[in-house]
Amino acid sequence: MKVKLWGTRGSIPSPGPETIRYGGNTSCVGVTLADGSMLALDAGTGIRSLGLALAAEPARLHILLTHLHLDHIQGLVFFAPAFQAQTEIVIWGPASPEASLRDRIARYISAPLSPVEVRELPCDVSFRHCPQTEWEIGSARISAASVAHRGPTLGYRIDDGDSSLAYIPDHEPALGADIDALEEDWISGLGLARNASLLIHDGQYADAEYPDHIGWGHSSLSHSISFARRANAARTVLFHHDPMHSDEQLDQLGAEARQRWLALGGAEGGIELAIERNEYELPARAASPASAS
Amino acid sequence: MTQRPLELILARNLMSALSTPAFLVDEGGVLVFYNEAAGALLGKRFEELGTVGAEEWGSMFGPFDKDGEPIPYDELPLVVAVRNGRPAHADFEISSADGARHQVEVSAFPILTAHGSQGAIAVFWPAGSSNGAGNR
Repeated sequence: MKVKLWGTRGSIPSPGPETIRYGGNTSCVGVTLADGSMLALDAGTGIRSLGLALAAEPARLHILLTHLHLDHIQGLVFFAPAFQAQTEIVIWGPASPEASLRDRIARYISAPLSPVEVRELPCDVSFRHCPQTEWEIGSARISAASVAHRGPTLGYRIDDGDSSLAYIPDHEPALGADIDALEEDWISGLGLARNASLLIHDGQYADAEYPDHIGWGHSSLSHSISFARRANAARTVLFHHDPMHSDEQLDQLGAEARQRWLALGGAEGGIELAIERNEYELPARAASPASAS
Repeated sequence: MTQRPLELILARNLMSALSTPAFLVDEGGVLVFYNEAAGALLGKRFEELGTVGAEEWGSMFGPFDKDGEPIPYDELPLVVAVRNGRPAHADFEISSADGARHQVEVSAFPILTAHGSQGAIAVFWPAGSSNGAGNR
């Protein structure tokens, strides 16, 4: 399984010289499975670049949306494959008692917010609510589960051969709870992340910023580290950077994350901040993972 | 990769912050949590007791009707809520670990999600007690 980060920013695109190293595009991760199947995790503005890279690529791909906040869907109408008639796109996302996935996405892909309507997209697009049980896409088994964020929100786990990716970009597992004290089955998202080869997880706030953002649906650095330790992921990438964080601030946050991770007994290289365009090739998980415990 | 449904996790987190006694059962009726206020009322903390199977918890602390007779498990508000998917309310008396009796009002409601019922919550409102400890 190959993973590429096309958009690592949270909340709103944040281009500019002060964010050029970590990137300003909002959430999107490209995944190439062992059998060549293509997935896009979320469709923030990063999906525009993914679409350009896929220009001559497969005619079928799956977009797995964690939720429908704008920073996770706003790239859809700028995704080149959606405007190619030969392309088949399957969009997966959370169910809602209010309206179907298609109808909720159509609120964005419709006038006056968009020049095109869903029905006008040239590609063959379909919308599916994620099932509660595992399902298969290509060579992978996909799991989705509701996680603590605002509104119906999913986290995903992708198992492909012996490697696994957990993707929980918007997550506040410590809302009203102490992650370090809770039993594992009472921690939001932990079932998805446990022993993953790579965990991509919300790391939006520095600890000092979190008290002003309790309930906004995101993690502090301490929460992210605690979650990663409890998950026993081989490698954790902190994602969904706050739009107010410059590269210099993220450098500091990343250094603090590494320092605290090592101090807790974590493996060197076990945690890092997401950088746009970074790529990962996930190996099969070792039997005895090197990670913090 | 078992994990409790998110709705139960959030319910527990909320209940943990309340000073109102509250109880949480999963979709199978297993008592999976009660908060500190409930522990004070019962005289036993949840951490001491742990999860309790359906039907077992119903008789642990009574409850008793106004004539002092045990109330059948099937008629308890929490059971009605989780089984029938509708809210339920009742007045009854419970017996705490130290033997004190407490008169309580109980309101229970199901936790319904897009995937059906995930459990139920009951909130106890102490109305009085034989030793006065239940008054708030």
